[in-house]
Formats: sequence, structure tokens, C-alpha cells
Amino acid sequence: MRRSTAAAVGTLTGAALILGVRLSVQPPAVPVAAAAPVDAGGEPDAESTGEPAPAGTKKPSGKKTGAPSADDEKKKEEEAGLKAGTYKGKAVQNQYGTIQVTIKVGDGKITSADATYPTDGFSGTINPKAVQALSSATLEEQSADVEAVSGATFTSQSYVTSLQAALDKAGA
Amino acid sequence: MGTVVSIELADDLPAARLTALIESTCAWLHEVDARFSTYKEDSEVCRFRSGALPLDDCSADLRHVLDRCADLWRDTDGYFDAYAGGPLDPSGYVKGWSVEVASQRLAAAGSTRHYIGAGGDIRMRGDRPWRVGVRHPWKADKLAWVLSVTEGAVATSGTYERGAHVWNPVAGRPATGLRSVTVVGPDLAVADAYATAALAMGEPGLSWLAKRVADGYESAAVTDDGRAFTSAGLPVAT
Repeated sequence: MRRSTAAAVGTLTGAALILGVRLSVQPPAVPVAAAAPVDAGGEPDAESTGEPAPAGTKKPSGKKTGAPSADDEKKKEEEAGLKAGTYKGKAVQNQYGTIQVTIKVGDGKITSADATYPTDGFSGTINPKAVQALSSATLEEQSADVEAVSGATFTSQSYVTSLQAALDKAGA
Repeated sequence: MGTVVSIELADDLPAARLTALIESTCAWLHEVDARFSTYKEDSEVCRFRSGALPLDDCSADLRHVLDRCADLWRDTDGYFDAYAGGPLDPSGYVKGWSVEVASQRLAAAGSTRHYIGAGGDIRMRGDRPWRVGVRHPWKADKLAWVLSVTEGAVATSGTYERGAHVWNPVAGRPATGLRSVTVVGPDLAVADAYATAALAMGEPGLSWLAKRVADGYESAAVTDDGRAFTSAGLPVAT
């Protein structure tokens, strides 16, 4: 259960990353893209358990009616005279799937931004930190100079015959 | 716990101070043994599992241990199981946790470079790397890897010590497939639980271990037929 939660968070995080990249090349949408995650993160977590789920399941878009905080950006929007309505960005295909950004404008301000992102498939393909299999290596046999030895030593008898015991003896 | 603990303090401190640090560490580990032993009838663990001690009256430490055992049971798909042998036996978590706490206390008391090894599982801190050998799974006097770890834990589980006594709690039979598993990461209790769980899984444990890299735990494993596997970030000494 915990693992599936982590997978879901991975999907959202991965998607948020992609959104950030995508929006940064579309000037009008930048303030919203920047504001939305901050807004979501700034809200107090529903639970203090430290579980990533509550924060992760929040819609990153959030129906934020206030304009982005930076005054410059506000002015830019007013100058641009944004017309009320819903605008859909071009659907963009990348290796992870199709992404399309939608913004809503009211009173000359962007009132919401949302995006579709691939929800099917394996989250590992979206998550930049994809799982890498352990690589095969040669089993070596060395007697190098070490300061400690890790090994399965369950009994005090096996300790006596261990390299760690020899090290302890040498150091004593 | 029936485990030998090695404590190495490499701090430039007066001898009396070092002795005091060793003594307080030993006192803590003995306290843990008295409270969490499954062999001592009057230990907190034994009184809890016999029903004499209700959960609400358990110490914060024991409740932490029970919580973490439950977390690790989920995180390992049931392969780390404090109930694998029937009645509650949290020793597999308690050993690593008690050493974690001991190391934290040493650091808080001013030790900047030390390691504590308990039954072949090691927690270390330092200003420069420790060279840690991983025992060769067939030759007790040889090493399979030499790691370089400044801060963190190295835990190894192997069937070479207990033979077929390493239990696969999910299948309900002895574990086979892997000869030894070493996990390197920030927390010794977690590294130990992961190593134990992967060993119990057998060869499927190799791909399970690969996924733990995302949580900060690197690994090295040897199969029963002598094939060796390592994660890309394993801190091998050069």
C-alpha cells in the first residue's frame, strides 16, 4: 500500500517537472506555473505524519484566483489585456506521452492552469530516477587493509573466527 | 541479543573521556538487551507479548520498535517479519536501532569519528571515509568488496552462517537463491531489514534491491552459485 502511494507521488512529481519545463517556454503561463506549486506546498499538511501522500495528491493546479505575487508579472498581464475565456495550449508529444496545458482567464488575470499528463503506464518511465537493475560483477577475493568488516555474524562463535575479531584484537 | 559489539572511537579526546563514552555506550546496549530480549521473561518485549503489559503501557521505545517493524513489513512486501517465527521477535530491528541510537548519542557527546559494529552490521560516522570490508561469502578470511563509507551504515545478511535457517516468511520455507546480501545506506536498522528481506526473497530480491536505490540504499549481493551483483552507486573503495 505504501509502495503504491509512492508510485502515485512519483507520477505527480514527474508530471510537475515536465509541466515546469513545458510552461517555461510559454511566457504568459510562467507566473501561474510558478505560483501553483508554491501555493500547494505552502498549505499546511492535513496530517503531521510526514507521509508524502497528502501533499502529493493535491492538485498542483489549485483554483487560485489571486494573481501571481510579483508586481512586474501583474503589470505584464494587464498590459497584455488577457481576454476572458479558456485557452488550451498545443498538445505536445514527448517520450512520456501527450501533455496539454489549459488556462482560464477572468478579469484580465489567469484564474487557473491545468494540464493533462499521461496517467497510464508505469510511473518509473515518468520518474527521472528510473530503476536500474543491479549489475553483474565479478566476485572478488581480496585481503585488503580495512578498518571494519561487515558480514553475517550471528553467533559469538562465528565472531571469534571473523576478520572483525582479528581487527578488534589488533586495535586493543 | 547474544551479539558481539565492536566499538571504535577514533576521536582525539582524552583517554578518560573515551573510556566514559565507551562505558555509556555499553550501558545503553545492556539496557536494550534487558528491555528487548526475547529470552528474558521479565523484559518489556516478553511481558508485552505474553499480554501482561498492555500496549498503552509500553515505553515509547517499544512502541517505536513495533511501529517500525510494521512499516518494514509493508516496505519489504512481508519479507521482513517480526512474527516470522510465531511469537513477536523484534530483534531484527532492535539490533540496528539500538546501534543507531548509540551512534547518535556518541555524536551528541562530542565523538566525530567512530563506528559501532554489532554482529557484522556497522554504523559509522566520520570526517573522512572508513574502509569497510564485506566478508567473502565462502571464505571467512577473505573480502568480496571493500567499501568507503564516511557516514552511514553497512549491513550484511548471509546464509553462510545459519545455513538453511534463514526463513522465507512469505513462502513458509527456508530461503534459497542468495548467499549473501549487503546493504549500504543512512540507517542501520533499515539497511539490516532490507538485507534480511532480500536474502529471504532469493533471486527476486536482486530486482527488489535495485528499487531501494531510490530510497538511498545501495547494495551488493552474491547468489548461491557465486554470481556477484552490485548497484551502480555502491561506494566501492578505490
